[in-house]
Amino acid sequence: MRPHRLAAGLGAAFVLTASVSTAALAQAPVCSAPVKVLAQPRDGLTLLEDSKDEFKKLSGASFQIDYLNENDRRAKSRADASTVGNYNVYYVDEANVALFASSGWIAPLTDYYPAEYDFADFDPGRQKVATYDGKVWFAPLTGGGDLMVYRKDVLQAAGIQPPKTLDELIADVPKLTNADKGMYGIALRGARGSGANVWRWMPFFKAYGGKWFDGDKPAFNSDAAVKATETYLKLFKDSAPGTQTGSWDESTGAFLSGQVAILVESTPLSGMAVDPKTSQVVGEVGFLPPPSPLPGGGYGHGLAIGTKANADDAAKKCAGLFIAWATSKENEKRRLDAHQFGELNRTSILSSKEFADIYGADLGQALAETGKVTAVNFWQDPRWPDLGDRWGIILEELVTGTRTDIKGGLNELEAYANELAKKK
Amino acid sequence: MRRRSFLPVTFLVPTLAILLVLSMVPTLYAIVIALQNRELSTPGYSWVWFSNFADLFLDRRFLNAVWVSVKWEIVTVVATMVVAIGLGVLMFEVAGPRLRNFYCLLFIIPVLLPRVSAAFVWKFAYHPLYGIATYPYRLVTGGLIFDPLSKASTALFAVASVDVWQWGLFFAVIVLKLLETLPPQPIEAARLDHARRWQIHAYVTLPMLKAPLISLMFVKMIESLRSFDLIYVMTRGGPGVATETLDMYAFSQGFIESGKVSYASAMAVLMMIATVITFTMLWKRVQA
Repeated sequence: MRPHRLAAGLGAAFVLTASVSTAALAQAPVCSAPVKVLAQPRDGLTLLEDSKDEFKKLSGASFQIDYLNENDRRAKSRADASTVGNYNVYYVDEANVALFASSGWIAPLTDYYPAEYDFADFDPGRQKVATYDGKVWFAPLTGGGDLMVYRKDVLQAAGIQPPKTLDELIADVPKLTNADKGMYGIALRGARGSGANVWRWMPFFKAYGGKWFDGDKPAFNSDAAVKATETYLKLFKDSAPGTQTGSWDESTGAFLSGQVAILVESTPLSGMAVDPKTSQVVGEVGFLPPPSPLPGGGYGHGLAIGTKANADDAAKKCAGLFIAWATSKENEKRRLDAHQFGELNRTSILSSKEFADIYGADLGQALAETGKVTAVNFWQDPRWPDLGDRWGIILEELVTGTRTDIKGGLNELEAYANELAKKK
Repeated sequence: MRRRSFLPVTFLVPTLAILLVLSMVPTLYAIVIALQNRELSTPGYSWVWFSNFADLFLDRRFLNAVWVSVKWEIVTVVATMVVAIGLGVLMFEVAGPRLRNFYCLLFIIPVLLPRVSAAFVWKFAYHPLYGIATYPYRLVTGGLIFDPLSKASTALFAVASVDVWQWGLFFAVIVLKLLETLPPQPIEAARLDHARRWQIHAYVTLPMLKAPLISLMFVKMIESLRSFDLIYVMTRGGPGVATETLDMYAFSQGFIESGKVSYASAMAVLMMIATVITFTMLWKRVQA
């Protein structure tokens, strides 16, 4: 064989080998091990588990989701992310994303979120909640603001128009309570927690002009906080039984079983209220934005990439692919088909004809209007869960009557906030 | 001359060494952490020595948790022993052998339920509108609402009743079996002396069972210290801090609210010291 022929042959062999290797690499699975996810129960995630094979085909590996209720999920994910890091993907929410991001427990999502999954399609409000310090940290699974959901039949029987202002709400709620017939004017959240009783109290605080901090100086020990708490406690006198130490489940459960006249709650309730599978009051429910000047509590929950379990870029890409697939348009369409209202986050789905056909124009209009008054009410800081949970305990004490001095409670919280401020 | 056998040493030393490592390493680690200022959200830390312990005695929630823990111990241990002895004696006096076997089977079932399941079942039973345990109150009062888990005055007792439901019934079976093992002669002699039934048990059978009953009480005291799961599911320490025991407050500080693991460890160390001292004193008193 002549030398140039040998060289040409070797060159061709090299090119062929390189092409085969590139092709093999192109088809190499993105994931080498099952993706471990720590989450709280969501209908959307349960539905996702039916499509495990689809993800396996896409990535080369399956996934496993461990579920814990909200408070336990927060405690466990915090403990896991700060120590062993067993999970590739964490379910995070608006209350703890700042802590997870600033502690380096999660990675910036958009660095590993494949472009073809169109992150920009998510509702802009939810994108805002998922953003901390200029970076996006999670892809939303649920989110939104607040809506006032009310019983048309009960209000009509009492001759009351749906309240448009907070003063009207405060005046109407006692009139709607008829405990002998098992009807209560409202349902609030009494259980401790920054995402529980404090979450429902915050719109009152903001409505009266309250603010958390002025720079690093606590500013919440104010007339606004006292008035907000007094109003909250006053309304609690007409709150359904079981809600004094209950949260979302108890208050929405009371409404959906027909015991509550008016409820101002997070938007997923509206979808549940019109679904015969979850509601006993279908056909009797009306929707409006929260009575003015109550702002809606803007929130968002979603999936984020853990840093400890995903030590290298390849593992992070795998987790990013899982999150992109789990929150994709295709999977969101499946949730819409399954009438999972609270699991819808993409503009393309929320503005679709199918959505309007299922949920009607009224709800669509109320959602659009409430978007205008939705705000971030909590203190966007890693120390927020600590401060919010501390206030949650004091507020639970006030709701259940184990303490009565509102100002004393706020003084105690302020002392604690000063300690927190020193930590920064 | 007898040859010394190394067999006991061969078996004992590795086992004791493993036990020592397993028990001492976490304990020493907890003590070390308690002297630092570690928090979950920050990798850095420094030595603060006894500052965490000093802070604890100024913390109203810690002082409340100590008081709640003491109440919890007293209520659950006393109620469990009263129910166990009362039901055990009642079964011994009233029921025939077949009925006793049936009751024994029935009374063992609650303790076989995992704590968390029992807690969920009873949490729903105490629901003010749907609960079976609150139904009699609604029936008698014409529909008035009673929510025992949201009232500070009743929450601890409501949760303690579940603990007693599990352990009191189980201990009743043990008391019955202990009574059945007693020799019949002293009881016969008391009957011949015209002693009443309660007198026979108060002055004859129960004093004869003093040692096993004290052992049962110690078992219950230790078990009551580990009621975290029951309280956590039923009340999460609420309403407010009315049922927040020391272990629950330590967990809350370490993992739910603040991530202050050193502060939580300081509580754990204090709990360990208090438990060791209390149990040693009680044990010595009983031995005397």
